[in-house]
Amino acid sequence: MKDFRIDKEASGTVELLRLTGSLDMYSFNRLESQINALFQQGRHEIVLDCQALDYIGSAGLGALIGFAKQAREHNGDVKLLNVPDRILKIIELLGFTKVLEVHNNEQAVLDSFAKHSSPGSHS
Amino acid sequence: MKAPENVQVKKSTSKLHLQTPGHGSYLSYIRTLVCDLARKVGFPEDEVAKIEMAVDEACANVVEHAYKSKKEWHWKHRDPEIRLDVRARNGRLIIEINDHGQRFDFAAYNPADIEGRIREMQPRGYGIFIMRKFMDEVHYSSDDNTGNTLRLVKYLQKR
Repeated sequence: MKDFRIDKEASGTVELLRLTGSLDMYSFNRLESQINALFQQGRHEIVLDCQALDYIGSAGLGALIGFAKQAREHNGDVKLLNVPDRILKIIELLGFTKVLEVHNNEQAVLDSFAKHSSPGSHS
Repeated sequence: MKAPENVQVKKSTSKLHLQTPGHGSYLSYIRTLVCDLARKVGFPEDEVAKIEMAVDEACANVVEHAYKSKKEWHWKHRDPEIRLDVRARNGRLIIEINDHGQRFDFAAYNPADIEGRIREMQPRGYGIFIMRKFMDEVHYSSDDNTGNTLRLVKYLQKR
């Protein structure tokens, strides 16, 4: 059981947020604040590295698709990277991967913003 | 694992009784203990992940909706708390989650067109859908003496 943590770095126009711990109804407000702050700065190309994430609940998942929707309205996106199998199986079963891009290669996801790849693709 | 403050825990190899304040900061601890028991009684990791999410949704609903502070309800004089009774019996895991918050008309709540909600990228309204999808039985009851109880059941092997 790890505390939820967000480590932020920028790679060109893309913001990379590395998430650690559990993203549930208690912790997701912190992610929401971070992403809203990025949107206000006009930064709508965001990658969430989920490698160290051990849980995501529906509040977190719902928020992610809401963020992706807002970002796409500004020609950006919120994409997932390195989603652990345990979490990926759950979000596939629920159908969220139909609208969220999921990648497993960091360079490929960063490059994908330049190419405007379609939702649901995997790299 | 050391229990957080204000938590009561009783555990055995096939049972768990847990009482926590009705606050979101305890959800992570609740999930950890329920997952530990589910693994101990033989659920594979894929099924443990489903149980974890269903229990989290149930407890999150208690915190977010049952104990919503703006409204009045029958037991508002009591401190908000969540009580979980989890037991493995006859090839199934039975999880009862009890609160003394506002009642919820669970039977009448039938979230429409989940696929459509996802397609439209709606951020909310998935909790009860997830409980029904991931558990084999979901039953809600409420009365003035015992409060509100959500019963989630998962079969160890599909019938």
